[in-house]
Amino acid sequence: MTAETIIQSLASGLLMGLLYGLIAAGLALIFGLMDVVNFAHGEFLMIAMYATFFLFAFFAIDPLLSAPLVAAALFVFGAVVYLLIVRFAVRAKANAGMVQIFATFGLAIVMRGLAQYFFTPDYRSITHSWLGGKTLSLAGVFLPVPQLFGAMTAIAAFVVLYFFINRTDFGRALEATREDAGAVALVGIDKNRVFALGWGLGAALVGLAGAIMAIFFYVYPDVGASFALIAYVTVALGGFGSVFGAFAAGIIVGLVEATTALILPPSLKSVGIYAVYLLVVFIRPRGLFGSL
Amino acid sequence: MSISRRDVLLGATASAALLPVAARAQTSEVVIGVIYPLSGSSAQIGVDAQKAFETAADIINKNYDFKLPLAKGEGLPGLGGAKVKLVFADHQADPQKGRAETERLITQEKVCAVIGTYQSAVAVTVSQTCERYQIPFLSADNSSPSLHRRGLKFYFRASPHDEMFSKAMFDFFDAMRKKGTKIETLSLFHEDTIFGTDSANAQTKLASERGYKIVADIKYRANSPSLTAEVQQLKAANADVLMPSSYTTDAILLVKTMAELGYKPKNIMAQDAGFSEKALYDAVGDKLEGVISRGSFSLDLAEKRPMVGIINEMFKARSGKDFNDYTSRQFMGLILMADAINRAKSTDGEKIREALAATDMPGDVTIMPWKRVKYDDKGQNNDADPVLLQYIGGKFVTIAPQEVAVSEAVWPMPSK
Repeated sequence: MTAETIIQSLASGLLMGLLYGLIAAGLALIFGLMDVVNFAHGEFLMIAMYATFFLFAFFAIDPLLSAPLVAAALFVFGAVVYLLIVRFAVRAKANAGMVQIFATFGLAIVMRGLAQYFFTPDYRSITHSWLGGKTLSLAGVFLPVPQLFGAMTAIAAFVVLYFFINRTDFGRALEATREDAGAVALVGIDKNRVFALGWGLGAALVGLAGAIMAIFFYVYPDVGASFALIAYVTVALGGFGSVFGAFAAGIIVGLVEATTALILPPSLKSVGIYAVYLLVVFIRPRGLFGSL
Repeated sequence: MSISRRDVLLGATASAALLPVAARAQTSEVVIGVIYPLSGSSAQIGVDAQKAFETAADIINKNYDFKLPLAKGEGLPGLGGAKVKLVFADHQADPQKGRAETERLITQEKVCAVIGTYQSAVAVTVSQTCERYQIPFLSADNSSPSLHRRGLKFYFRASPHDEMFSKAMFDFFDAMRKKGTKIETLSLFHEDTIFGTDSANAQTKLASERGYKIVADIKYRANSPSLTAEVQQLKAANADVLMPSSYTTDAILLVKTMAELGYKPKNIMAQDAGFSEKALYDAVGDKLEGVISRGSFSLDLAEKRPMVGIINEMFKARSGKDFNDYTSRQFMGLILMADAINRAKSTDGEKIREALAATDMPGDVTIMPWKRVKYDDKGQNNDADPVLLQYIGGKFVTIAPQEVAVSEAVWPMPSK
C-alpha cells in the first residue's frame, strides 16, 4: 500500500461522502421538521435522475443546466406528495407511526412500479455530457470532474441551507414549527404550508443530488435503493433531524467506506460504515449531532 | 327399434373409449413456469427474457417453416396439438423469493416444468424446490458449475458452465502465448454470489494449472454504489488481462470508474453476464473496443444458418434488441423443454424427466453453435462448445474456437 493509494482512497471517499451528505440532507430535513421518515427518499432520487436523463435524451439539455430545473421540479413534487399523501397519513388517529411508514413505503413501491412500466427496466446512461468522463489528475491522484462538481455543489448547498435556516423568516418558521407545531398555529403560521415547503425543500435537495449523479451513474427504476440505505445510516449517524449532522455524517460515511476497503476485502467495505454506526448507537444513541 | 338404457350406456362407453385420449388433450394446454427477475435491480434481464420465451412459444404454437423442433405444425403433436402456455413468475434476484414463487408455480399454477433463472444463486433454491415436487427444471442460462454437481434428478442444463467457459478462455491465452504474445498476469474481479465465486474458483484453478499468475483477486459486493477502492487495486496490479465476472450494473460502474481513475486495462476477458448486455455498450461502449467475452451464441451464425437471422428478427420485433447470449439460450430453453414434453406425450413430471434424459438433439436444428444437446447423468450437456466474442467496431465477432471463428483476435485491446 503506497501513500498514493491512501491519498487516492481518502480523496475518493471525501468526494463520495459529500454527495452522500447531499442525498441525506433532504431526508434529515423532513425528519427533523415533522418526525416522518420518508421511505420513498431513494425513489425521489430515482425520478430526479430520470428527469435529468430524459431532459438530456430528448432536449439535449446538459445535466449542468438541467440541475436547477430538476431541483425545482422535485420541489413541486415533494410539496405535492406532502399535500396529497403525508398530510393525511399524519392525521391517523391510531398507529400513526405505522400509517406514516406504510404511506411513504407504499409510495416508494408505486413509484418504482410506475418507473419500470413507463421507462422500462433498461439501464440508461448519459453518454456525452460536459463533465462526464472527464477527470483531473493531481500528482497521480485522480479526481473525476463530475464527482468533484457534485462535492462542490454539496458544500454550496449546505452553506445556502445554513443561511436559509438561520437567517430567514421562513427558516425561523421551519425551526419553530419543528419545536412546537401547536404553538406556531397560535401566532398565525400555517403549519401545513410550512410542512409542504419543508417537503419541497427536502425533495429539491435530493433532486439536485440526482441531477449530478445522473452524469456518472446509470439510471434504472431501482437505483435509489442502495443510496437510500446509505442515506438512512447517514441520517441516523448524524443525528435524527440535524441537517448539518447529515452533512458531517455523509463525509464520515464516505471516508470510512474508502478506508475500510484499504484494510478489508472490498466485499466487506460496508462493514466499516455499519460498525461506526453501531458504535455511535451504543455510545451516543441520538447520533453525533442529534438534538432530540 | 327401441333403444334401451343399456344400449345408450354401451354406446357412450364405446365412443368414450374410441375417442382418442389426444382429442381431450387437444383442448388442454401445457403449462410451463418461467421464473426470472421481473422487478428489482435486474428487472431488465427478466423483461428481455419474457420476450425471448414468448418468441419461442409463438414458434411452437403456430406453424413456421424452420428446421427447429416443433416449429412446423401447431402446438405439441405428441399431446394432440396442445398449446404451450407460459406462466411467468418474478424472483427479484432473491433466492428465497425464488423458492416461494416456484412453490406457487407448482402448487397453484400447476406447471409441469420450470425454466429459469439468470442468477445462479436463485437457481439453487428453485431447482431444489422442483426436485422436491418432482418437477423438471431446466437452467436456460445459469452458468455456475456447482448447480449440476448436487446430484439432483430433475435438473438439466443444455448450455456450458463456467468451468467450460473459463477453459475456453485459458485455451485462448495458451494459443496466444504460443504465438509469442506475453500473457503472464491476471486480475480477477468478481461479484460475491455463487456466480462470481464459482467463476473465480474455476479461473484460479486453471491459472495455477497452466502457469498464469493472479496478481489481484477482487471480490466485491454486487450493486455497490461505488467501486473506487476496487478499481484502485486493479489499477495497482495492472495485470496483462482483467477478468471480470459481473452483472450489468456493476459492469457499467466498473468501466466508468476505471476511466475516472485513469486505468486502462491492457486486455479484458469477461465472464459474460453484464458484458453481453446492450445497456453496457450503450453506456460505455466507446471504452470497450476490443473487449472479449465468453458466450454461447453469436449472430455470426445467421450466415450459415439463415433461420437464426429470421428468429432474431422475430425477437427484435418484440423487444427492440438483437438476441444476446442470454436471450438466445432462454429461447432455446423453452424449445428444449417443449420438445421433451412432446416426446413424453405427458405432463407428468417423471415422464418429462425421462424424456429430457433421453434428449439427443443435433446442434444444427438449434439456434446455437452447439454440437448437440445430450445430457449426462447429472443433467449437464457436455457437447455445447463455448465461444469467445470480441467487441469490434460496435458489434461482437467470434474469435475462438478456431472452427467457428470469423476473424482474428485483436490483441492487445486497441488503446484510445
